[in-house]
Amino acid sequence: MSALDLAARALRAAEGDEAQALVQSERSGMARFAGSEVHQPTLIENEVVELQVVRDGRLGIASGNRTDDDGLRVLAARAAEAADSAPADPDFPGLAAPADAPTVEGYDEQAAELGAEDQARLAAAAIDASDLDLYGFFTSGVTEVAVTSTAGVAVSQELTDVAVLALAAVDGASGYAEQTGWRAADVDPAAAAREAAEKAGLTRGASELEPGSYAAVLEAPAFAELLAYFSYDAFGALGLIEERSFAFDKLEQQVFDERFSLADDALDPRGLPKAFDFEGVPKQRVQLVDNGVLQGVVWDRVTAMRAGDGHETTGHAPPSSIRHWGPLPFALSVGGGEADSPEQLAEAVGDGIYVTRLHYLSVVDPREGIVTGMTRDGTFRIRGGKVADPLVNLRFTVSVPQLLAELHGLTRERVLVNQNAYYDDRYPTGLLSPALATARFDVTGTGSGPGV
Amino acid sequence: MRELCEQAVTAALGAGADYADARVVVRRAQVVGTRNGRVERLDDAETEGIGVRVLVGGAWGFACDRRLDNAGAEAAAAKAVAFAKAAPGGHSRELASVAPARGEFRTPVERDPFDVSVADKVALCLRAEEALAHEDVKVTSASVRAQKEHKVFVSSEGASVEQEFVECGGGIDALAARDGVTQIRSYPSAHGGSSSQAGWEYVEGLGLEREAPRVGEQAAALLRADACPSGITTVVIDAEQMALQVHESVGHPTELDRIYGTEAAYAGTSFVKPGDLGSLRYGSEHMNITADSTTPGGLGTFGFDDEGVAAAREPVVGGGILSGFLTSRETAARIGSGSGGSMRADSWSRMPLVRMTNLHLEPGEGSLDELIAGVDEGVFLQTNKSWSIDDKRLNFQFGTQIAWEIKGGRLGRMLRDATYTGQTPVFWGSLDAVAGPDEWKLHGLTNCGKGQPGQHAHVSHGASPARLRNVQVGFK
Repeated sequence: MSALDLAARALRAAEGDEAQALVQSERSGMARFAGSEVHQPTLIENEVVELQVVRDGRLGIASGNRTDDDGLRVLAARAAEAADSAPADPDFPGLAAPADAPTVEGYDEQAAELGAEDQARLAAAAIDASDLDLYGFFTSGVTEVAVTSTAGVAVSQELTDVAVLALAAVDGASGYAEQTGWRAADVDPAAAAREAAEKAGLTRGASELEPGSYAAVLEAPAFAELLAYFSYDAFGALGLIEERSFAFDKLEQQVFDERFSLADDALDPRGLPKAFDFEGVPKQRVQLVDNGVLQGVVWDRVTAMRAGDGHETTGHAPPSSIRHWGPLPFALSVGGGEADSPEQLAEAVGDGIYVTRLHYLSVVDPREGIVTGMTRDGTFRIRGGKVADPLVNLRFTVSVPQLLAELHGLTRERVLVNQNAYYDDRYPTGLLSPALATARFDVTGTGSGPGV
Repeated sequence: MRELCEQAVTAALGAGADYADARVVVRRAQVVGTRNGRVERLDDAETEGIGVRVLVGGAWGFACDRRLDNAGAEAAAAKAVAFAKAAPGGHSRELASVAPARGEFRTPVERDPFDVSVADKVALCLRAEEALAHEDVKVTSASVRAQKEHKVFVSSEGASVEQEFVECGGGIDALAARDGVTQIRSYPSAHGGSSSQAGWEYVEGLGLEREAPRVGEQAAALLRADACPSGITTVVIDAEQMALQVHESVGHPTELDRIYGTEAAYAGTSFVKPGDLGSLRYGSEHMNITADSTTPGGLGTFGFDDEGVAAAREPVVGGGILSGFLTSRETAARIGSGSGGSMRADSWSRMPLVRMTNLHLEPGEGSLDELIAGVDEGVFLQTNKSWSIDDKRLNFQFGTQIAWEIKGGRLGRMLRDATYTGQTPVFWGSLDAVAGPDEWKLHGLTNCGKGQPGQHAHVSHGASPARLRNVQVGFK
């Protein structure tokens, strides 16, 4: 049974004046390895139905994964009970009206057909290609999302995603590479492993670095993670409305270098495309920053109604489990620059540091865009415009807006960086990012060295 | 449920497994949250399924199925064995010997949280929110949660265990904003409040309405407070932040799977090595850390872990010396010590990992006031705001929501934007006092991430306020 058919069955079971059914299904496999052996191989199949019902203007939500008739009946009763217990919500905008969802890519038959043996084989391909112990995973999955409602919404989409993460490491040395896509052909596990091993070989004998402000090159995975942490606070409508966002009083202002442009674009086939949000509203491309000018944030129907002033949804309603975060940009896309490679960015920097990957980021001050974290698995000095001697992992505490205001440049090529840690229900997200060079990266301490 | 587990184990052995275990989990989780006077969250999620883990020729395999019937049990078993065969390992794996577990466990509950109506939960949140109000507070929020989980575990070694867990929790937040400055205060903990393995009586005991006026006023007052100055000084850290300090800088680095590298690609490894047991000076003589899966009310309390190993209380750091690890049966066998007891999975669809259970900083003596009285010049830090630690758990930086200057043994002006940073063994080595049992509190958090696919663990930490000398405060 398709997700859309299941959603329709759930809708028929609903007990309310209005109702919406959301179905998310997953069939995935992950061959996770450590020390060049698969140690946590996990196969998942699940199908979750969420039912929202409106009774006398009051909204109730319940979800479950029992999809037989009795399971749906129980689900409907729980949603109805929740609605009857809830006070009426003056900000409830009603259910979304039906609209034509855009046609997007994002499904690859070859990726969908990958099974446990393929996932194990592709993990082995990565392991065999590394001359150092390899840690990471190969994963592939098929997810289907469907939304139906009594208002007439009836949309569904099948998505595939594949990813390899490779950490080549021994005591005192480690290097990192990753590849993500929605086509099986987007990912070459052996190539990722070789890249990680080559990087690891350069990290032996890492030295310390005095805290201070340095020019820096951030490879795409490092920049993408930093930008994601900043953007979830800065570019969502709820943070804007509540005055806790960096964007609060800066719309239409030139706050970043004019070479920096940023969009949320779930329609781009180079990302992990989505046709609609969790209310079935069509996805829109939203320009967040244009040539350094802060243009806007992403909206859903709840925040748009609350803000008034002509705001409309941009197709960014979150799943109900993270409704308290408000609408978020999960398909960030950074405009490319002029540099041919990260190495060319290092030439522009001259003297500074080179960062492959970040670890354990935390937002210190959302309003100022201050983020702290560590570098790992490939941190180097840049000397004379060349990537030079390795460094231990560095603690940084940076103002992301300052970092983006003092750019040296960006690479032309952009890389899709995986943003999915595979918690809860699988829903593939990625960030399309170039490498970046900045004049300002504040190092505030040192940590452990590379390696396991 | 027990029969389904037995059927899955039998099917796995029939398909070629040398060892198999099966877990059936049925869970209901409910979150009620309000924000600025309106209901924001009314999640009520049920999930159920069976997870089957196998060892085939030294290779693990895991698969799951949401169908709680014969077909689901047998399909999960067959897929787990097939995956293990498809990804053979390079060496055999041994499991530490344990007697087959037989028994039951049930959370002691005075009032089942699902007997409390959603309307009453909403009303409690709205009342607490109303009490947070202040003209500079732009966002008020309150939430309560409840969870009930029924779990059956059966292994091919003869283990057969049935357990029922009940959790409750809640918290409030006030976000103040004025003139480009935003500040937040939370109670009883940041990041969603605190939870306990208990009935609704735990939520009632939190006193959310009672504490709300203070929380709102402090959020507003922080807007006008001075920024915490940077420098090396003495810090007194409240119990809630010490709980997180224990979690990040003691709990994770003593997980033996991390130490052996199985989390290297994601969560990281550890500065602690297997050979450090019994010799590594982790901190000062005031540092005593205990892993205790028997703690009443702890989110990591159980009768048996997800390998069927019975709950226990074990030292991890004694008098500042590393004295234990958090282990699975596999890692315990590898180090030749212990028998596991820390394996937990966050649902039927995830493979168990070595996780913290309840990890406590044991109390010292005296009161918080006495700790502060022993500081001529320093800072009192309270309630976590930001947190980050490196992949080997050495370099950390934490921020707190609020701080107070200490001068001459007394609290002085309120300070905002405080952070502190350090290297784990150096930091713990500077511990010179832990307050006594009267100040010891149990904090339950539900967002500990680990593993790929990712898993959330619910863990508790007991701690008293503590005093540490020569700590770097601020990062500028």
